[in-house]
Amino acid sequence: MDNLDAARLQMAFTLIFHIIFACVGMVMPFFMIVAHKKWLNTKNPIYLTLTKSWQRGVAIFFVTGAVSGTALSFELGLLWPEFMKHAGPIIGMPFSLEGAAFFIEAIALGFYLYGWNKLPEKFHWFTGVIIGISGVASGILVVAANGWMNAPSGFDYIDGKFTNIDPVKAFLNDAWFTQALHMALAAFTAVGFAVAGIHAYQIYKKKQIELHKKAFKIAITFAAVAAILQPISGDLSAKDIAERQPVKLAAMEAHFETEKGAPLFLGGIVDEENQEVSYKIEIPKALSFLAFGDFDAEVKGLNEFPKEDHPNVAIVHYAFQVMVGIGTLLMFAGILFFVSLKKKKWWELNKFWLAFTILAPLGFIALEAGWIVTEVGRQPWIIHNIMRTKDAVTPMPGMIFSFYTYVVLYTILTVAVTWLMRRQIQFLNASKI
Amino acid sequence: MLYVVLFFLLFSLLLYVILAGADFGAGIVELFSSKESRIITKGTVYRVMGPIWEANHIWIIIVIVILWIAFPDFYNVLTVYLHIPLTLVLMGITLRGVAFVFRHYDAYKGRLHKLYDWMFRISSLVTPVFIGLTFGAMVSGKLIITNNYAAYSFYEVFIAPWFNIFSLLVGFFFMALCAFLSAILLIGEAKKEDINIYLKKSIVATVLVILSGFFTLTYGYLNDIIFVTDFIENRYSNYLILLSAILIYPLLRSIKKGHKVTSRGLAGAQVILILTAALIAHFPHLILTSTSEIGLLDNVASEKVINSLGIALIIGGSLILPGLFHLFKSFKIIKVLDL
Ligand code: HDD
Ligand code: HEM
Ligand code: HEM
Repeated sequence: MDNLDAARLQMAFTLIFHIIFACVGMVMPFFMIVAHKKWLNTKNPIYLTLTKSWQRGVAIFFVTGAVSGTALSFELGLLWPEFMKHAGPIIGMPFSLEGAAFFIEAIALGFYLYGWNKLPEKFHWFTGVIIGISGVASGILVVAANGWMNAPSGFDYIDGKFTNIDPVKAFLNDAWFTQALHMALAAFTAVGFAVAGIHAYQIYKKKQIELHKKAFKIAITFAAVAAILQPISGDLSAKDIAERQPVKLAAMEAHFETEKGAPLFLGGIVDEENQEVSYKIEIPKALSFLAFGDFDAEVKGLNEFPKEDHPNVAIVHYAFQVMVGIGTLLMFAGILFFVSLKKKKWWELNKFWLAFTILAPLGFIALEAGWIVTEVGRQPWIIHNIMRTKDAVTPMPGMIFSFYTYVVLYTILTVAVTWLMRRQIQFLNASKI
Repeated sequence: MLYVVLFFLLFSLLLYVILAGADFGAGIVELFSSKESRIITKGTVYRVMGPIWEANHIWIIIVIVILWIAFPDFYNVLTVYLHIPLTLVLMGITLRGVAFVFRHYDAYKGRLHKLYDWMFRISSLVTPVFIGLTFGAMVSGKLIITNNYAAYSFYEVFIAPWFNIFSLLVGFFFMALCAFLSAILLIGEAKKEDINIYLKKSIVATVLVILSGFFTLTYGYLNDIIFVTDFIENRYSNYLILLSAILIYPLLRSIKKGHKVTSRGLAGAQVILILTAALIAHFPHLILTSTSEIGLLDNVASEKVINSLGIALIIGGSLILPGLFHLFKSFKIIKVLDL
């Protein structure tokens, strides 16, 4: 494997790892403060137990998120020094604001975790709210930086030099809003279904049913709302891409030829060499409509662009299918949940709980798949149409060893965190309430 | 605005060194404690550090972000040529952070805690060594900056600059500094009957700082390391070091008398003096290579970028600093974690 591929793999691997923890750090605080609020209102000790148990989860995930995030902020420079040399000053704005948001989050977390019975009740609860808000804010800010890589703006690019830099314009690039919205919803969907699924499984196994039902309800309510909004926001993203990164759209849909009234492909096996997609289901004219809101609009195919500007079509297409497939499924699951509120009988059925248990990992799978669409779909550019990834990579040889080191380290971390979470649940089930 | 940015850079760096330094030091003190006092130390460390622990480590992120936005060329040299030691620092930070959480948040206490504890102590020891090593490598004069990588071996460009006695000595010096900060911090927080443990430790740590500082300078001087010779000849650096030497006396007295605020203040002042002395000896040329000097202020980002960064820092600072202050103030009241 050459140096560039090793660096790309390492970046992908560490981001895929970080995003899991970052999302939990963004979303769990909201569940926690809802449970906390219910405890304050009802004084039902179940809610207190739940709050404290979720708080431990938040603390563990926060630190893992923070250390892997710290690693990432070094890695941007360590792996892509040429990129950071030019992009640093341009997209520094969201990153420095993000730093502020993290700080506020860490301070609030200090107050929240250590403030039980020491701070005034309302203020203590409010520090929890701040954790949630600043977590989401930091997520939005980093995604804005990623949006800039997809839709670079806020500078003039003349003879290979970046001049006339306007950090505010760079921050408010064309992609930031659609991406940040879609990402925020994705975080709630993914974490919500995961948490709800874990509690559903406990109910399925008939452990501490009352507690786990309350926990389930809090988590799934957030998740269901987000999952229902998700396809709408995804459609906005797709329309955006059709304008901004037509190559990416063509790769997502595995469209090789330019067509008017282009059909939408579901599934299929991509053969890049022969430029064919076999075993697909075609929905006539649907792609033109989804991308441009017009059944007869022209959709550019990959052949319209030089070969060296193509991303890996198969990966992008499959990842997109996975995301949209899961997105549709989770939307129905969200609707199912709201219906179940009217049909209380369902809550007694073991099948109901089993179903939500199975859905638990899907949100995260969709989220990772979505990022693969965005990031692999941007290749071979690190800054769309400005700088190629191969020109940004570090000149230091031997990146493959660095990659292996990270794989070992993060694998150990993942196993350890999973195991700690299991112990939290065992502990919760064993506690008397 | 450039001055505002520089101020925040220096301020964040100093705070990182002091706060995270004390935090690393806590693990080191724990490592070099007898079995019983380890348990006491662990409890004290948690009580003191728990609430502020997370915030302490964000300063390094602020440092990195300011560097890459405002001083991209300088940062570029660091990331390319000090890739390996920086990666080692990262590994240390990661393992340490995770060990800290695991040992305090695991739902059950058991045999595994031994593992978390050792992971915590060892990574607390090696991370500051790596950080010091990186600083040492920056000024060791052994860096080779080149576009023609084929002309040199991997060892010459990417290993030799940091893998040498001088850098290691700087690493040990920084480690001693961390232990020193932490021992003094812990005196003020220990229960009456435990105070003696930390009194002894802080005296040992003070002696270690002086000795390792002395060795580093002597070694550097004898081996003609430009940074050291310039440091020794720089008038202002000398004044600052002299001042810090004089302050050792009141420091030791206030430690003995148990004045916790004074001794903390003096310990912090020591570190600030030493670091400032080192920085001004060569400011703004903070990277010394085999052939040239690379300045922090070479190719600073454009004025518009610096202005918006300055404004962001001022706004961020005015939100964060009061909050942080309250957290520090309250953690004296909020002592025990009640989960
Ligand atoms: C729970 C996760 C999840 C779910 C259910 C969906 N997505 Fe998504 N999607 C993401 C999670 C995600 C993501 C991981 O968050 C991405 C990556 C970058 C981004 O901004 O969001 C993303 C990116 C992304 C992009 C590319 C944006 C870009 O490159 O700028 C498009 C076009 C869509 N999505 C479209 C959809 C559609 C039409 C969905 C319909 C069901 C959908 N997504 C469901
Ligand atoms: C979509 C991508 C990302 C999202 C949504 C995201 C979000 C977050 C969140 C919410 C946290 C807080 C940790 C927690 O609460 O558990 C965090 C930590 C962190 N992230 Fe990310 N992040 C993303 C990618 C990145 C990238 C690419 C970088 C690198 C530049 C980065 C840098 C950091 C840093 C430095 C921290 C630690 C701050 C602390 O100590 O709290 N993140 N991230
Ligand atoms: C956390 C969610 C994210 C995931 C899962 C993710 C995933 C990936 C993947 C799979 C790659 C490799 C693409 C390839 O080379 O084929 C990549 C590259 C990269 N990503 Fe992301 N990404 C995320 C968010 C971000 C954010 C928020 C930023 C920046 C602000 C970012 C910056 C980069 C950079 C600089 C590269 C390397 C250059 C390149 O390959 O184009 N990523 N990411």
